[in-house]
Amino acid sequence: MSDQLRSFFGCGLDDERTFDLDDYGDVVPRWCSGCGDHGVLNSVKRLMRDEQLLPERTVFVSGIGCSSRFPHYLNTYGFHGIHGRALPVATGIKLSRPDLHVFVVMGDGDCCSIGAGHWLHATRYNIDMTVLMLDNAIYGLTKNQTSPTTPMGYATNTQPKGSFLPALNPITTTLGVTNVSFVAQTADWVPAHLLATIRAAYRHSGFSFVRILQRCPKFTAPLFAEQARTPDLHEMLIHPNGVTVPGLDKIYKRSLEHDPADIDRARALSEESERVRLGVFYRNESQPRYDDIRHLPTHTAAQNIERLNVELDRYAV
Amino acid sequence: MSRMLVTGNAAAAWGARLARADYVPAFPITPQTEIIETLGGWIEAGELDARMVTLDSEHSMLTAAGAAAATGVRVFTATSSQGLLYAMEMIYTVAGWRAPFVLANVSRALAAPITLEPDHNDVLAARDSGFLQLHAATCQEVLDLTLLAYRLSEDEGVRLPIIVNLDGFYLSFTREPVQIPEPSAVDAFLPAFDPGGLGFSASRPVSQAVAVLGGGPYSYFRYEMHEAARNALAVFDQVAADFGDRFGRHYSPVESYRCDDAEIAFVMMGSFATKAKDAVDQLRDAGQAVGLVRPRMLRPFPDQALRDALVGRRGVAVIDQNLSMGLGGVLHTELSAALCGVPNAPVLASFVGGLGGRDIGASEFFAMVDVAREAARSGMPPVPRLLYTRSELREMRKLQGIAAAERAAAGQPGDGA
Ligand SMILES: Cc1ncc(C[n+]2csc(CCOP(=O)(O)OP(=O)(O)O)c2C)c(N)n1
Ligand code: SF4
Ligand SMILES: [Mg+2]
Repeated sequence: MSDQLRSFFGCGLDDERTFDLDDYGDVVPRWCSGCGDHGVLNSVKRLMRDEQLLPERTVFVSGIGCSSRFPHYLNTYGFHGIHGRALPVATGIKLSRPDLHVFVVMGDGDCCSIGAGHWLHATRYNIDMTVLMLDNAIYGLTKNQTSPTTPMGYATNTQPKGSFLPALNPITTTLGVTNVSFVAQTADWVPAHLLATIRAAYRHSGFSFVRILQRCPKFTAPLFAEQARTPDLHEMLIHPNGVTVPGLDKIYKRSLEHDPADIDRARALSEESERVRLGVFYRNESQPRYDDIRHLPTHTAAQNIERLNVELDRYAV
Repeated sequence: MSRMLVTGNAAAAWGARLARADYVPAFPITPQTEIIETLGGWIEAGELDARMVTLDSEHSMLTAAGAAAATGVRVFTATSSQGLLYAMEMIYTVAGWRAPFVLANVSRALAAPITLEPDHNDVLAARDSGFLQLHAATCQEVLDLTLLAYRLSEDEGVRLPIIVNLDGFYLSFTREPVQIPEPSAVDAFLPAFDPGGLGFSASRPVSQAVAVLGGGPYSYFRYEMHEAARNALAVFDQVAADFGDRFGRHYSPVESYRCDDAEIAFVMMGSFATKAKDAVDQLRDAGQAVGLVRPRMLRPFPDQALRDALVGRRGVAVIDQNLSMGLGGVLHTELSAALCGVPNAPVLASFVGGLGGRDIGASEFFAMVDVAREAARSGMPPVPRLLYTRSELREMRKLQGIAAAERAAAGQPGDGA
């Protein structure tokens, strides 16, 4: 099959290659040991292996930060952008090459601080991409400054007596944006849930936003240490249309039935609570997608028909 | 007065502290972060009576800085590289507000590709904005120029914001002994900010920066900024003389090092010029009449001082740690304009070096002297050159070979296969 046709049909079709985990990247990442980013990378590779994504049809776009080193560790296309601009880069890629799988990896600084304007608009545009926001509640790469998601009172180099303001809640924020279509929360220390959530996000058609609570043992260890070793501090949102991980309920016993179609309840559940809620808050594939409405075809219809005919002619008897 | 071993970043923070900055809007970026963290630490510890606010980006940081200065308080802020560029819209805007304050820029080369090490393309992007520019080569200069900058910036005839530039890593993270002046001595040199017509007053409400103008009045105000910037040449001399009297350290807009009888001069800015000084010493030891001319001030452009320093030399090697794509080195271009038509002007040889923090070795300085001498002999300016060694090129070709092989193995386009 010609490259153009493969791009016309999407990926995977008629491709005899198979990919194992290492085919998606075997570089040893330069994150600190114990950093939650390692686990996210592993889950992402698993997803790609399970879905047999073609590396040349997959793009990872990032901004700047520890988490934004992601594309360096994958054998897919990568775009290490500039701080805060991952979403517009991804938008440009997806609109001109709708055949590509677009993943976006951002830190809490990237997404909620310097790039926050894009976050709002990208959510509303609802262009098909999988967005992973790795939230370690700190500016990691620049070494320990307060970010919008740093909890109030937590001391950093810029606010040594503790962050002055309540932390921004990225889930409520995203759920408040018009035309939002997918919002989920997971944590690097629950690998099975992490993988299932990333998979659900990947399969969602539209802008899927996943906040991943991410341990940074270097700068925010106390924020996550107890949480990560205490299943009882979590509450799993479960539903047939959400993520369900068989067996996980043996460990994470507290759960809450939540239908991700219910936006009002999603908003209510996203407010601060005693326990950290993991799962799909909201999912709605019927929201309009900018890339659907304003799709810029890579070829004209006539060109596509002509190519299709050439290809079909090969099978003529 | 005390002598302390501090980094260039800490020296900038000391400058802000001694200037008694009231307000410090901040946003972290390598290699600048130490400046705001140092100030943040002092404020939290009660050693500095100022307000610091960390904002969501450099764009809002510069906006807040300009607006605060326009209310009549003394403002200090700091950034670097991508941060300066991200704030560029406000760099132009706040200069037009005629709001005086000091911005420390810790030079770092720009994306793409990404690097952390210094060159001057970041600060040169602000060259035409209305911000004045002072470039430091040592940690002591970082502190002193910050204090001078406040006096200059707040002067009635100037009223423009100023960038004090220091090179990332080479200066920002290098510890040098620095004389920290007594606060009372600094207070005498730099009294509290007199905002003049600026400022908020309940009894005297005025709107600022609201007008949309036609070309005529617009030109008037833009040219007025230019003239204010030119005024800064004379004001700098006065302010520097006062500073010299009080603190014993004398600053001219252009430093000349071993230039008196120099036939050949290097022209360079920033901390890399200290490498040129070393080379000058070695060349002098070998009997060669070579010196260094280093503009501390880039805006306003000290054209007369540069003419004074350079006319009469036989050859000049201008080393630009920047690159204006499609033109060449910026300093070389500006110097050429300053020397154009001047009798006895030396022939200029243009070199671009130190991009992305690439080192400039002594042997390269020696080779540049040879090129400048030959140019002086023939009267012909040589072709501009990039400082790049054969072994660097070999290494680069090797990397490109590896990349091409990887691409070919992956069957990706671009391998020519
Ligand atoms: C315009 C601009 N301003 C500032 C920076 C400096 N900077 C680099 S990464 C970063 C924050 C990183 O935090 P986050 O996005 O949460 O990623 P993490 O390192 O925590 O994964 C900052 C402020 C930059 N690169 N560009
Ligand atoms: S600083 Fe924190 S986020 Fe960055 S690599 Fe280390 S542990 Fe991970
Ligand atoms: Mg972070």
